[in-house]
Amino acid sequence: MNISAIVFWSLFTLLGIWLQGAIPGVDFLAPGLILCLQEEKWTVSAWLALAWLFIQEGTGSLAFGTGLLWYGTLVGLYYFGHWLFEAKNFLFMFILGISLGLLHLILSHVMAVLQDWTLPADRILVEGFLQALIFPVEWGLLYLIYNHLPDNPHAV
Amino acid sequence: MFLYLGLFTWNIRTGYVDALASYTGLEFAKWVLAPGKWAASRVSSFWDRYVYFVGLREENDSLRAALVEASQELALLRERAAEADRLSRILTIRPPVAWSRQGARVISHRLGPNAALETVLLDKGALDGLKVNTPVAGPDGIIGRLLRLSPSAATVLLVTDPNSRIPVTSQKNRTQGILKGEGASNEMVVQYVALGAPLEEGELLVTSGLEDIFPKGLPVARVTEVGRRGSSLFQTVYAEPLFDSKRLEEVALLARIPEEQNGGAAPRADGQADTPGKAESDPISHSPPPAVVPPDPTGRAPGLGAPRPAQAPGPERKKPPRSSP
Repeated sequence: MNISAIVFWSLFTLLGIWLQGAIPGVDFLAPGLILCLQEEKWTVSAWLALAWLFIQEGTGSLAFGTGLLWYGTLVGLYYFGHWLFEAKNFLFMFILGISLGLLHLILSHVMAVLQDWTLPADRILVEGFLQALIFPVEWGLLYLIYNHLPDNPHAV
Repeated sequence: MFLYLGLFTWNIRTGYVDALASYTGLEFAKWVLAPGKWAASRVSSFWDRYVYFVGLREENDSLRAALVEASQELALLRERAAEADRLSRILTIRPPVAWSRQGARVISHRLGPNAALETVLLDKGALDGLKVNTPVAGPDGIIGRLLRLSPSAATVLLVTDPNSRIPVTSQKNRTQGILKGEGASNEMVVQYVALGAPLEEGELLVTSGLEDIFPKGLPVARVTEVGRRGSSLFQTVYAEPLFDSKRLEEVALLARIPEEQNGGAAPRADGQADTPGKAESDPISHSPPPAVVPPDPTGRAPGLGAPRPAQAPGPERKKPPRSSP
Protein backbone atom coordinates (compact mmCIF):
# COMPACT_ATOMS: atom_id res chain seq x y z
CA MET A 1 0.00 0.00 0.00
CA ASN A 2 1.51 3.33 -1.05
CA ILE A 3 1.60 6.55 0.93
CA SER A 4 -1.38 8.15 -0.78
CA ALA A 5 -3.50 5.07 -0.05
CA ILE A 6 -2.47 5.15 3.60
CA VAL A 7 -3.37 8.83 3.82
CA PHE A 8 -6.61 8.18 1.98
CA TRP A 9 -7.75 5.38 4.30
CA SER A 10 -6.66 7.29 7.41
CA LEU A 11 -8.62 10.37 6.37
CA PHE A 12 -11.56 8.18 5.42
CA THR A 13 -11.54 6.59 8.88
CA LEU A 14 -11.46 9.98 10.63
CA LEU A 15 -14.21 11.37 8.44
CA GLY A 16 -16.26 8.19 8.87
CA ILE A 17 -16.13 8.45 12.67
CA TRP A 18 -17.17 12.10 12.58
CA LEU A 19 -20.05 11.31 10.25
CA GLN A 20 -21.13 8.45 12.50
CA GLY A 21 -21.26 10.95 15.34
CA ALA A 22 -23.45 13.21 13.21
CA ILE A 23 -25.85 10.49 12.06
CA PRO A 24 -26.15 7.84 14.80
CA GLY A 25 -26.81 4.24 13.91
CA VAL A 26 -25.32 4.37 10.42
CA ASP A 27 -22.04 2.71 9.44
CA PHE A 28 -20.06 5.12 7.28
CA LEU A 29 -17.04 2.81 7.13
CA ALA A 30 -18.75 -0.13 5.39
CA PRO A 31 -18.59 1.40 1.88
CA GLY A 32 -14.85 1.82 2.41
CA LEU A 33 -14.49 -1.88 3.14
CA ILE A 34 -16.29 -2.78 -0.08
CA LEU A 35 -14.18 -0.33 -2.09
CA CYS A 36 -11.06 -1.74 -0.46
CA LEU A 37 -12.10 -5.28 -1.41
CA GLN A 38 -12.61 -4.06 -4.97
CA GLU A 39 -9.39 -2.10 -5.27
CA GLU A 40 -6.80 -3.26 -2.77
CA LYS A 41 -5.20 -6.51 -1.79
CA TRP A 42 -7.12 -8.64 0.66
CA THR A 43 -4.50 -8.10 3.38
CA VAL A 44 -5.18 -4.35 3.36
CA SER A 45 -8.90 -5.05 3.54
CA ALA A 46 -8.37 -7.45 6.43
CA TRP A 47 -6.35 -4.93 8.45
CA LEU A 48 -8.82 -2.14 7.78
CA ALA A 49 -11.74 -4.42 8.67
CA LEU A 50 -10.04 -5.37 11.94
CA ALA A 51 -9.40 -1.74 12.88
CA TRP A 52 -12.94 -0.68 11.98
CA LEU A 53 -14.37 -3.70 13.78
CA PHE A 54 -12.79 -2.57 17.05
CA ILE A 55 -13.92 1.01 16.49
CA GLN A 56 -17.52 -0.08 15.94
CA GLU A 57 -17.46 -2.55 18.82
CA GLY A 58 -15.78 -0.08 21.18
CA THR A 59 -18.10 2.80 20.45
CA GLY A 60 -21.20 0.62 20.36
CA SER A 61 -23.25 -0.57 23.28
CA LEU A 62 -24.01 -4.13 22.19
CA ALA A 63 -21.88 -7.05 23.34
CA PHE A 64 -18.86 -7.94 21.24
CA GLY A 65 -19.82 -9.97 18.21
CA THR A 66 -22.28 -7.68 16.50
CA GLY A 67 -19.57 -5.99 14.46
CA LEU A 68 -18.06 -9.36 13.60
CA LEU A 69 -21.37 -10.54 12.20
CA TRP A 70 -21.95 -7.14 10.55
CA TYR A 71 -18.70 -7.00 8.60
CA GLY A 72 -18.59 -10.78 8.11
CA THR A 73 -22.01 -10.76 6.50
CA LEU A 74 -21.12 -7.71 4.42
CA VAL A 75 -18.02 -9.43 3.03
CA GLY A 76 -20.02 -12.62 2.49
CA LEU A 77 -22.74 -10.72 0.63
CA TYR A 78 -20.11 -8.98 -1.47
CA TYR A 79 -18.44 -12.21 -2.55
CA PHE A 80 -21.80 -13.88 -3.13
CA GLY A 81 -23.05 -10.94 -5.20
CA HIS A 82 -19.75 -10.85 -7.02
CA TRP A 83 -20.78 -14.06 -8.80
CA LEU A 84 -24.00 -12.51 -10.04
CA PHE A 85 -23.11 -8.88 -10.68
CA GLU A 86 -20.23 -6.81 -11.91
CA ALA A 87 -18.39 -5.93 -8.68
CA LYS A 88 -18.35 -2.18 -9.36
CA ASN A 89 -21.88 -1.95 -10.66
CA PHE A 90 -23.91 0.74 -8.91
CA LEU A 91 -27.00 -1.50 -8.97
CA PHE A 92 -25.02 -4.11 -7.05
CA MET A 93 -24.06 -1.47 -4.49
CA PHE A 94 -27.68 -0.37 -4.26
CA ILE A 95 -28.76 -3.96 -3.52
CA LEU A 96 -25.89 -4.32 -1.06
CA GLY A 97 -27.10 -1.13 0.68
CA ILE A 98 -30.62 -2.52 0.99
CA SER A 99 -29.20 -5.77 2.33
CA LEU A 100 -27.20 -3.83 4.93
CA GLY A 101 -30.32 -1.90 5.94
CA LEU A 102 -32.18 -5.16 6.48
CA LEU A 103 -29.16 -6.66 8.24
CA HIS A 104 -29.16 -3.73 10.67
CA LEU A 105 -32.77 -4.52 11.62
CA ILE A 106 -32.14 -8.24 11.98
CA LEU A 107 -28.83 -7.98 13.84
CA SER A 108 -30.08 -5.34 16.25
CA HIS A 109 -33.15 -7.43 17.02
CA VAL A 110 -31.21 -10.69 17.44
CA MET A 111 -28.50 -9.17 19.62
CA ALA A 112 -31.07 -7.34 21.73
CA VAL A 113 -32.91 -10.62 22.31
CA LEU A 114 -29.65 -12.40 23.18
CA GLN A 115 -28.81 -9.71 25.73
CA ASP A 116 -32.39 -9.41 26.98
CA TRP A 117 -32.59 -5.78 25.93
CA THR A 118 -35.38 -3.71 24.49
CA LEU A 119 -34.73 -1.52 21.48
CA PRO A 120 -37.15 1.00 19.94
CA ALA A 121 -38.23 -0.63 16.67
CA ASP A 122 -39.08 2.65 14.94
CA ARG A 123 -35.62 4.06 15.50
CA ILE A 124 -33.92 0.90 14.24
CA LEU A 125 -36.18 1.00 11.17
CA VAL A 126 -35.17 4.58 10.38
CA GLU A 127 -31.50 3.71 10.86
CA GLY A 128 -31.83 0.73 8.51
CA PHE A 129 -33.48 2.95 5.90
CA LEU A 130 -30.72 5.55 6.24
CA GLN A 131 -28.06 2.87 5.97
CA ALA A 132 -29.64 1.53 2.77
CA LEU A 133 -29.81 5.06 1.35
CA ILE A 134 -26.37 6.26 2.36
CA PHE A 135 -24.35 3.15 1.49
CA PRO A 136 -24.52 3.31 -2.34
CA VAL A 137 -24.20 7.11 -2.43
CA GLU A 138 -21.15 7.09 -0.19
CA TRP A 139 -19.62 4.20 -2.15
CA GLY A 140 -20.12 6.15 -5.41
CA LEU A 141 -18.43 9.25 -4.01
CA LEU A 142 -15.64 7.20 -2.53
CA TYR A 143 -15.10 5.36 -5.78
CA LEU A 144 -14.76 8.62 -7.67
CA ILE A 145 -12.34 10.10 -5.14
CA TYR A 146 -10.25 6.94 -4.92
CA ASN A 147 -9.88 6.75 -8.68
CA HIS A 148 -8.65 10.32 -8.78
CA LEU A 149 -5.78 9.67 -6.39
CA PRO A 150 -2.53 10.67 -8.13
CA ASP A 151 -0.77 7.34 -7.56
CA ASN A 152 -3.71 5.23 -8.60
CA PRO A 153 -2.92 3.24 -11.76
CA HIS A 154 -6.55 3.61 -12.78
CA ALA A 155 -6.56 7.34 -12.10
CA VAL A 156 -8.93 9.20 -14.36
CA MET B 1 -20.70 -20.42 13.58
CA PHE B 2 -19.56 -22.56 16.52
CA LEU B 3 -16.43 -20.44 16.79
CA TYR B 4 -18.51 -17.27 16.81
CA LEU B 5 -20.98 -18.56 19.39
CA GLY B 6 -18.08 -19.77 21.51
CA LEU B 7 -16.45 -16.34 21.35
CA PHE B 8 -19.75 -14.60 22.07
CA THR B 9 -20.63 -16.66 25.12
CA TRP B 10 -17.06 -16.56 26.46
CA ASN B 11 -17.10 -12.78 26.10
CA ILE B 12 -20.50 -12.49 27.77
CA ARG B 13 -19.07 -14.39 30.74
CA THR B 14 -15.70 -12.67 30.97
CA GLY B 15 -16.05 -9.34 29.18
CA TYR B 16 -12.46 -9.57 27.89
CA VAL B 17 -13.20 -8.86 24.24
CA ASP B 18 -15.60 -6.06 25.15
CA ALA B 19 -12.84 -4.54 27.24
CA LEU B 20 -10.39 -4.85 24.37
CA ALA B 21 -12.87 -3.14 22.06
CA SER B 22 -13.47 -0.36 24.59
CA TYR B 23 -9.79 0.23 25.21
CA THR B 24 -9.03 0.41 21.49
CA GLY B 25 -12.05 1.45 19.46
CA LEU B 26 -13.73 3.71 22.00
CA GLU B 27 -10.43 5.33 22.93
CA PHE B 28 -9.53 5.92 19.28
CA ALA B 29 -12.96 7.38 18.54
CA LYS B 30 -12.62 9.74 21.51
CA TRP B 31 -9.32 11.11 20.22
CA VAL B 32 -10.84 11.52 16.78
CA LEU B 33 -14.02 13.22 17.99
CA ALA B 34 -12.61 15.48 20.69
CA PRO B 35 -10.87 17.88 18.30
CA GLY B 36 -13.85 17.75 15.98
CA LYS B 37 -15.56 20.83 17.37
CA TRP B 38 -12.33 22.78 17.32
CA ALA B 39 -11.60 21.70 13.74
CA ALA B 40 -15.14 22.60 12.68
CA SER B 41 -14.83 26.10 14.11
CA ARG B 42 -11.43 26.60 12.44
CA VAL B 43 -12.75 25.41 9.09
CA SER B 44 -15.76 27.67 9.48
CA SER B 45 -13.51 30.59 10.35
CA PHE B 46 -11.29 29.82 7.36
CA TRP B 47 -14.30 29.73 5.11
CA ASP B 48 -15.58 33.05 6.39
CA ARG B 49 -12.28 34.84 6.17
CA TYR B 50 -10.60 33.44 3.09
CA VAL B 51 -13.14 31.82 0.83
CA TYR B 52 -16.31 33.76 1.30
CA PHE B 53 -14.56 37.06 0.82
CA VAL B 54 -12.58 35.96 -2.23
CA GLY B 55 -13.31 38.43 -4.99
CA LEU B 56 -13.79 41.44 -2.77
CA ARG B 57 -11.30 44.18 -3.10
CA GLU B 58 -8.48 44.32 -0.64
CA GLU B 59 -9.51 47.77 0.39
CA ASN B 60 -12.93 46.58 1.41
CA ASP B 61 -11.32 43.69 3.24
CA SER B 62 -9.10 45.96 5.29
CA LEU B 63 -12.01 48.27 6.07
CA ARG B 64 -14.17 45.43 7.21
CA ALA B 65 -11.43 43.51 8.95
CA ALA B 66 -11.89 45.37 12.18
CA LEU B 67 -15.62 44.79 12.07
CA VAL B 68 -15.18 41.08 11.35
CA GLU B 69 -12.64 40.77 14.11
CA ALA B 70 -14.92 42.55 16.53
CA SER B 71 -17.84 40.37 15.50
CA GLN B 72 -15.79 37.23 15.95
CA GLU B 73 -14.60 38.41 19.31
CA LEU B 74 -18.16 39.20 20.31
CA ALA B 75 -19.33 35.77 19.17
CA LEU B 76 -16.46 34.16 21.05
CA LEU B 77 -17.23 36.10 24.19
CA ARG B 78 -20.90 35.25 23.92
CA GLU B 79 -20.00 31.59 23.54
CA ARG B 80 -17.73 31.82 26.57
CA ALA B 81 -20.42 33.58 28.55
CA ALA B 82 -22.89 30.84 27.66
CA GLU B 83 -20.34 28.20 28.60
CA ALA B 84 -19.63 29.94 31.90
CA ASP B 85 -23.34 29.97 32.57
CA ARG B 86 -23.61 26.25 31.90
CA LEU B 87 -20.53 25.47 33.98
CA SER B 88 -21.83 27.52 36.88
CA ARG B 89 -25.01 25.44 36.73
CA ILE B 90 -22.89 22.28 36.84
CA LEU B 91 -21.15 23.69 39.91
CA THR B 92 -24.48 24.10 41.63
CA ILE B 93 -24.85 20.33 41.67
CA ARG B 94 -24.08 19.65 45.26
CA PRO B 95 -22.94 16.06 45.75
CA PRO B 96 -24.62 14.23 48.60
CA VAL B 97 -22.68 13.48 51.72
CA ALA B 98 -19.99 10.85 51.09
CA TRP B 99 -20.10 11.50 47.33
CA SER B 100 -17.65 13.59 45.30
CA ARG B 101 -18.23 15.43 42.03
CA GLN B 102 -16.16 15.55 38.86
CA GLY B 103 -17.04 17.43 35.67
CA ALA B 104 -16.91 16.00 32.15
CA ARG B 105 -17.74 17.14 28.65
CA VAL B 106 -20.07 15.36 26.25
CA ILE B 107 -18.13 14.81 23.04
CA SER B 108 -20.63 12.75 21.09
CA HIS B 109 -23.98 11.06 21.21
CA ARG B 110 -24.72 7.58 19.89
CA LEU B 111 -21.92 6.54 17.56
CA GLY B 112 -21.93 3.84 14.89
CA PRO B 113 -24.27 1.03 13.91
CA ASN B 114 -23.78 -0.86 17.17
CA ALA B 115 -24.84 2.04 19.37
CA ALA B 116 -28.23 0.53 20.01
CA LEU B 117 -28.80 2.08 23.42
CA GLU B 118 -29.47 5.74 24.25
CA THR B 119 -25.97 6.82 25.17
CA VAL B 120 -23.59 9.78 25.16
CA LEU B 121 -19.80 9.74 25.07
CA LEU B 122 -17.79 11.61 27.75
CA ASP B 123 -14.18 12.78 27.72
CA LYS B 124 -13.31 11.17 31.05
CA GLY B 125 -12.48 7.53 31.62
CA ALA B 126 -10.87 4.91 33.83
CA LEU B 127 -7.70 6.99 34.24
CA ASP B 128 -9.84 9.66 35.92
CA GLY B 129 -10.88 7.16 38.54
CA LEU B 130 -14.27 6.42 37.02
CA LYS B 131 -16.01 3.10 37.35
CA VAL B 132 -18.83 1.40 35.54
CA ASN B 133 -22.21 2.41 37.05
CA THR B 134 -20.87 5.79 38.23
CA PRO B 135 -23.92 8.09 38.42
CA VAL B 136 -23.98 10.97 35.93
CA ALA B 137 -25.90 14.15 36.71
CA GLY B 138 -26.88 17.23 34.76
CA PRO B 139 -27.74 20.66 36.17
CA ASP B 140 -31.28 19.54 37.01
CA GLY B 141 -30.76 15.97 38.12
CA ILE B 142 -29.64 12.48 37.22
CA ILE B 143 -29.19 11.74 33.51
CA GLY B 144 -27.75 8.23 33.62
CA ARG B 145 -24.83 6.08 34.65
CA LEU B 146 -21.58 4.87 33.08
CA LEU B 147 -21.96 1.84 30.87
CA ARG B 148 -18.53 1.33 29.30
CA LEU B 149 -15.08 2.73 29.97
CA SER B 150 -11.85 3.25 28.12
CA PRO B 151 -8.76 4.96 29.59
CA SER B 152 -9.96 8.47 28.74
CA ALA B 153 -13.54 8.09 27.53
CA ALA B 154 -16.77 6.68 28.86
CA THR B 155 -20.21 5.82 27.56
CA VAL B 156 -23.23 6.92 29.59
CA LEU B 157 -26.48 4.96 29.51
CA LEU B 158 -29.21 7.60 29.72
CA VAL B 159 -32.22 7.14 31.96
CA THR B 160 -34.43 7.56 28.89
CA ASP B 161 -33.22 4.27 27.41
CA PRO B 162 -35.84 1.50 27.55
CA ASN B 163 -33.34 -0.73 29.36
CA SER B 164 -32.83 1.74 32.20
CA ARG B 165 -34.84 1.15 35.35
CA ILE B 166 -34.34 3.19 38.50
CA PRO B 167 -36.20 2.88 41.80
CA VAL B 168 -37.64 6.31 42.60
CA THR B 169 -39.66 8.03 45.27
CA SER B 170 -41.96 10.96 44.74
CA GLN B 171 -40.53 13.95 46.55
CA LYS B 172 -43.73 15.18 48.19
CA ASN B 173 -45.90 12.10 48.79
CA ARG B 174 -43.01 9.59 49.13
CA THR B 175 -44.71 7.14 46.78
CA GLN B 176 -42.29 4.60 45.39
CA GLY B 177 -42.04 3.09 41.92
CA ILE B 178 -39.65 2.00 39.20
CA LEU B 179 -38.81 4.64 36.59
CA LYS B 180 -38.37 3.09 33.14
CA GLY B 181 -37.17 4.86 29.99
CA GLU B 182 -39.17 4.63 26.79
CA GLY B 183 -36.73 6.11 24.30
CA ALA B 184 -35.32 9.56 23.66
CA SER B 185 -38.49 11.11 22.29
CA ASN B 186 -41.00 9.43 24.59
CA GLU B 187 -42.04 10.09 28.15
CA MET B 188 -40.80 7.72 30.81
CA VAL B 189 -43.09 5.35 32.69
CA VAL B 190 -43.26 4.82 36.44
CA GLN B 191 -44.08 1.18 37.08
CA TYR B 192 -45.58 -0.61 40.06
CA VAL B 193 -47.27 2.38 41.68
CA ALA B 194 -50.08 0.94 43.80
CA LEU B 195 -53.62 2.11 43.05
CA GLY B 196 -54.14 3.89 46.32
CA ALA B 197 -50.73 5.54 46.45
CA PRO B 198 -50.84 9.35 46.38
CA LEU B 199 -49.03 10.96 43.47
CA GLU B 200 -49.53 14.36 41.86
CA GLU B 201 -48.87 15.67 38.40
CA GLY B 202 -45.83 17.96 38.45
CA GLU B 203 -44.33 16.18 41.43
CA LEU B 204 -40.60 15.51 41.30
CA LEU B 205 -39.35 11.94 41.34
CA VAL B 206 -36.08 11.45 43.19
CA THR B 207 -33.78 8.46 43.45
CA SER B 208 -34.60 6.16 46.34
CA GLY B 209 -31.05 4.79 46.53
CA LEU B 210 -32.34 1.23 46.88
CA GLU B 211 -30.26 -0.11 43.99
CA ASP B 212 -27.05 1.11 45.65
CA ILE B 213 -25.88 2.87 42.50
CA PHE B 214 -27.40 6.34 42.70
CA PRO B 215 -27.24 8.50 45.82
CA LYS B 216 -30.58 8.91 47.52
CA GLY B 217 -32.67 12.01 46.90
CA LEU B 218 -31.43 13.27 43.53
CA PRO B 219 -34.13 14.43 41.08
CA VAL B 220 -34.63 12.21 38.02
CA ALA B 221 -37.94 13.13 36.42
CA ARG B 222 -41.18 15.06 36.84
CA VAL B 223 -44.61 13.40 36.83
CA THR B 224 -46.72 14.49 33.86
CA GLU B 225 -49.72 12.18 34.03
CA VAL B 226 -51.32 9.95 36.64
CA GLY B 227 -54.20 7.65 35.76
CA ARG B 228 -55.59 4.18 35.62
CA ARG B 229 -56.12 1.88 32.67
CA GLY B 230 -58.19 -1.27 32.45
CA SER B 231 -58.09 -3.69 35.31
CA SER B 232 -54.46 -3.11 36.20
CA LEU B 233 -53.51 -3.30 39.84
CA PHE B 234 -51.19 -0.38 39.39
CA GLN B 235 -51.56 3.24 38.39
CA THR B 236 -50.41 4.41 34.97
CA VAL B 237 -47.85 7.12 35.59
CA TYR B 238 -45.85 9.04 33.01
CA ALA B 239 -42.91 11.31 33.72
CA GLU B 240 -40.63 13.57 31.72
CA PRO B 241 -36.83 13.62 32.12
CA LEU B 242 -35.19 16.74 33.52
CA PHE B 243 -32.77 17.11 30.61
CA ASP B 244 -32.70 17.27 26.83
CA SER B 245 -30.20 14.67 25.65
CA LYS B 246 -29.53 16.56 22.42
CA ARG B 247 -28.48 19.67 24.34
CA LEU B 248 -26.22 18.03 26.90
CA GLU B 249 -22.75 19.57 26.86
CA GLU B 250 -21.33 19.23 30.35
CA VAL B 251 -22.20 16.79 33.09
CA ALA B 252 -21.10 15.93 36.61
CA LEU B 253 -19.91 12.48 37.63
CA LEU B 254 -20.69 11.47 41.19
CA ALA B 255 -18.28 9.11 42.89
CA ARG B 256 -18.63 7.51 46.28
CA ILE B 257 -15.89 8.63 48.66
CA PRO B 258 -14.16 5.65 50.27
CA GLU B 259 -15.00 5.10 53.92
CA GLU B 260 -11.50 5.93 55.18
CA GLN B 261 -11.66 9.35 53.50
CA ASN B 262 -15.24 9.97 54.39
CA GLY B 263 -14.67 11.41 57.85
CA GLY B 264 -14.09 15.00 56.79
CA ALA B 265 -15.15 14.77 53.18
CA ALA B 266 -18.59 16.25 53.43
CA PRO B 267 -19.31 18.59 50.53
CA ARG B 268 -18.71 22.26 51.04
CA ALA B 269 -21.74 24.34 51.66
CA ASP B 270 -20.93 26.72 48.81
CA GLY B 271 -21.27 23.92 46.29
CA GLN B 272 -17.72 24.34 45.07
CA ALA B 273 -15.47 21.48 44.05
CA ASP B 274 -14.72 19.36 47.04
CA THR B 275 -11.32 18.14 45.87
CA PRO B 276 -8.54 20.36 47.23
CA GLY B 277 -6.70 22.26 44.57
CA LYS B 278 -9.41 21.90 41.98
CA ALA B 279 -9.26 24.68 39.41
CA GLU B 280 -12.14 27.05 39.85
CA SER B 281 -12.10 28.60 36.39
CA ASP B 282 -12.92 25.50 34.39
CA PRO B 283 -14.08 22.60 36.47
CA ILE B 284 -14.57 20.42 33.42
CA SER B 285 -11.16 20.38 31.86
CA HIS B 286 -8.97 21.20 34.80
CA SER B 287 -10.48 19.34 37.67
CA PRO B 288 -7.92 16.82 38.86
CA PRO B 289 -9.09 13.27 39.17
CA PRO B 290 -9.80 12.09 42.70
CA ALA B 291 -7.47 9.15 42.26
CA VAL B 292 -5.68 7.65 39.33
CA VAL B 293 -6.41 3.97 39.30
CA PRO B 294 -4.79 1.81 36.64
CA PRO B 295 -7.29 0.12 34.37
CA ASP B 296 -8.22 -3.41 35.13
CA PRO B 297 -6.82 -5.79 32.51
CA THR B 298 -10.31 -7.18 32.07
CA GLY B 299 -11.45 -3.76 30.93
CA ARG B 300 -13.86 -3.35 33.76
CA ALA B 301 -13.57 -0.30 35.87
CA PRO B 302 -11.07 -0.80 38.66
CA GLY B 303 -12.55 -1.63 42.00
CA LEU B 304 -15.83 -2.77 40.58
CA GLY B 305 -16.04 -5.54 43.04
CA ALA B 306 -17.99 -3.40 45.47
CA PRO B 307 -21.01 -5.17 46.90
CA ARG B 308 -24.23 -4.69 45.03
CA PRO B 309 -27.80 -5.62 45.62
CA ALA B 310 -29.42 -8.46 43.79
CA GLN B 311 -31.22 -6.07 41.44
CA ALA B 312 -28.10 -4.29 40.29
CA PRO B 313 -26.33 -5.63 37.22
CA GLY B 314 -23.62 -8.14 37.92
CA PRO B 315 -20.21 -7.90 36.35
CA GLU B 316 -20.34 -5.84 33.20
CA ARG B 317 -21.71 -7.39 30.05
CA LYS B 318 -23.07 -10.36 31.91
CA LYS B 319 -26.53 -8.95 32.15
CA PRO B 320 -28.41 -6.13 30.49
CA PRO B 321 -27.50 -2.77 31.99
CA ARG B 322 -30.37 -2.41 34.35
CA SER B 323 -29.90 -0.46 37.44
CA SER B 324 -32.74 -2.14 39.16
CA PRO B 325 -35.28 -4.88 38.49
